[in-house]
Amino acid sequence: MGRGILFVTTDQQRFDALGCNGGQVARTPVIDGLAAAGVRFERAHPQNVVCMPSRATMLTGQHVRTHGVWMNGVPLPADAPTVAGLLHEAGWRTGLFGKAHFEPFLDPFLRFAENQMGNSGSTDENGRPHRGFDRMELAGHGPAGLVHYRQWMREHHPEHIGGFFPVLDLSLNVNAEGGGDSGAPQVRYNEVPRHAYHTDWVADRAIEWLHGLETNDDWFCWLSFPDPHHPWDPPSSELHRVPWRDLNLPAGYPEDRAERETALDAKAPHWRRWYDGTLVSNYEAPTHWTPASLTSDQVREVDAMAHIENELIDEALGRVLDALGDQGRTAGTDVVFTTDHGEFQGDHGLLFKGPYHVDSLMRLPLVWRPAPNRHVAPAVVTDPVGLVDLAPTFCRIAGLPVPGWMDGEPLPTSATEATEQERQRVLTEWDSVHPSGVEVHLQTITRDGMVCTRYESGTCHDGTEGELWDLAEDPLQRINLWDDTSRKSLRDDLLADLADALPPRPSNRLRVESPV
Amino acid sequence: MGDRRVDVRREAVIAADPDAVWAIVAAAERQAEWFPGMVTSTVKDDVRTVVAASGAIFLEEILAIDDDTRCFEYRITGPLHLEHHRGRITVEDDPGGTRVVYEQELEPKALAYVLDGALGDALVGLRDLVTDGKTSRAYHDGDA
Repeated sequence: MGRGILFVTTDQQRFDALGCNGGQVARTPVIDGLAAAGVRFERAHPQNVVCMPSRATMLTGQHVRTHGVWMNGVPLPADAPTVAGLLHEAGWRTGLFGKAHFEPFLDPFLRFAENQMGNSGSTDENGRPHRGFDRMELAGHGPAGLVHYRQWMREHHPEHIGGFFPVLDLSLNVNAEGGGDSGAPQVRYNEVPRHAYHTDWVADRAIEWLHGLETNDDWFCWLSFPDPHHPWDPPSSELHRVPWRDLNLPAGYPEDRAERETALDAKAPHWRRWYDGTLVSNYEAPTHWTPASLTSDQVREVDAMAHIENELIDEALGRVLDALGDQGRTAGTDVVFTTDHGEFQGDHGLLFKGPYHVDSLMRLPLVWRPAPNRHVAPAVVTDPVGLVDLAPTFCRIAGLPVPGWMDGEPLPTSATEATEQERQRVLTEWDSVHPSGVEVHLQTITRDGMVCTRYESGTCHDGTEGELWDLAEDPLQRINLWDDTSRKSLRDDLLADLADALPPRPSNRLRVESPV
Repeated sequence: MGDRRVDVRREAVIAADPDAVWAIVAAAERQAEWFPGMVTSTVKDDVRTVVAASGAIFLEEILAIDDDTRCFEYRITGPLHLEHHRGRITVEDDPGGTRVVYEQELEPKALAYVLDGALGDALVGLRDLVTDGKTSRAYHDGDA
């Protein structure tokens, strides 16, 4: 029987989305079971908090400065080395089902291979693997975009295409329209049958591919669910799972307006400017939505919709694991579950994501259930790790040497191994230039229970601003210690470590080819 | 381009006679021959309809085709909802033959990044058509 790696990702999912991480809303017994049998990471961070840079890191094992995808809309260079390519060359079968997003979505002239494949229905690049994947069947956030799922919906359920929330408006900005009961942005009640929703479609495509493998094939399957990224429009048949009116407000949402705004004012100035509607710094949140307008009921309803989507993901993953079990592949299969970045989901009075390096966006679920036939003891790792470590981990599982072009190192399988690896820090960076001219640049180091962010000069910052959070004393990140003189030596030490650990910026910045 | 800021600007030098390049640029219905990812470009009166390989459609009003200044100017009128758009292609003399400047003004700005790379591709496509007679990817000759 061949070996297998099932790499499961979600999109824009919070650490507390899972029961095994203390989540109190969504029921996620499948992932919780993987965590109980494997390694659960308490402090996993992305190297960038939006999709394209983060996904490029997962695929390459490189920091953003190394692979060069510095913001959404920058395609990963066509010749970038990938872990899928390594596995393919080593004889592994490789497939990706769901959201790729290594290349821009908005592409009317079909300049990028992913969109050419999605538009034509081809599952490879003119007979060759694309980025190392023998087969790709792509989905996005609903039946929009140049993806295989759109074609499938057109063929099988055209009557339900209009039921999804349109992510972008007719001006190609992220849609600010509200819906549901509360008028929350990007919420809609969607009459699509559950079996036709993209979460189940992704699982179905992967299961069919797995069934086509030969018994002795080694295989790598990236099962890439597009949810719980907005829009929040799960099948209406599932709304009974989490009635939004019954939810408590999340701990990170300060319901009192004065308290909320005081906490925002303690942060770098772009936080409050976005909240007040006087700044649009990045493309990923609706241009015409003002966070200050967010109500408690809207927070509850978005929270409920996201958790419904989390449950659907858990159940879809369960079907894939069952299929592997039916094939007798469970014992030889490693399963790694994570996401590309987090979501505010009401924290700090905000939704969506952007240049904000706090736990809402940076602390990610990460679970690794090693192949049971390797008899790795269950563990919890609290030392910081990053998505940059995933590709080296896949190399280690496959018995391949970790190539020099990867920046990360294989994840530890125990707290002891993490200590031996001297895992002290994890790095996250953000650079963006909005078409309006707004520039934001920040870098963050997480070490010793502290999160330290420096802002470079741009159109919102003069280069002196920063944030320093003590995760033990202030887990909701409301007391900014950046200017606390008693922490100055610690802050300076973290900044020096950050400067030392970050790879150098590339001399030629890649071009932005699309907003997303 | 008026007082507004140019949001996208690409230029290229083509080793060819400026009048030959201008003859192609000024023939509005020929754009799909040199703009990669355009399937067709048809003109009726002063409206050009472009169909992209993705199926997207752009309706464009042709504002000026000025043989004296070798300047082609147009604006996208739909179905995208743009508060403002101006596109301009200028064909200039250059020591290397011809300098082609392709500019766009946009409001809202989101489309700027979409068009930026496409315009770069388009100038390569224009060069290929002028110098090698090679038509672009996705171009569909209705007479073929």
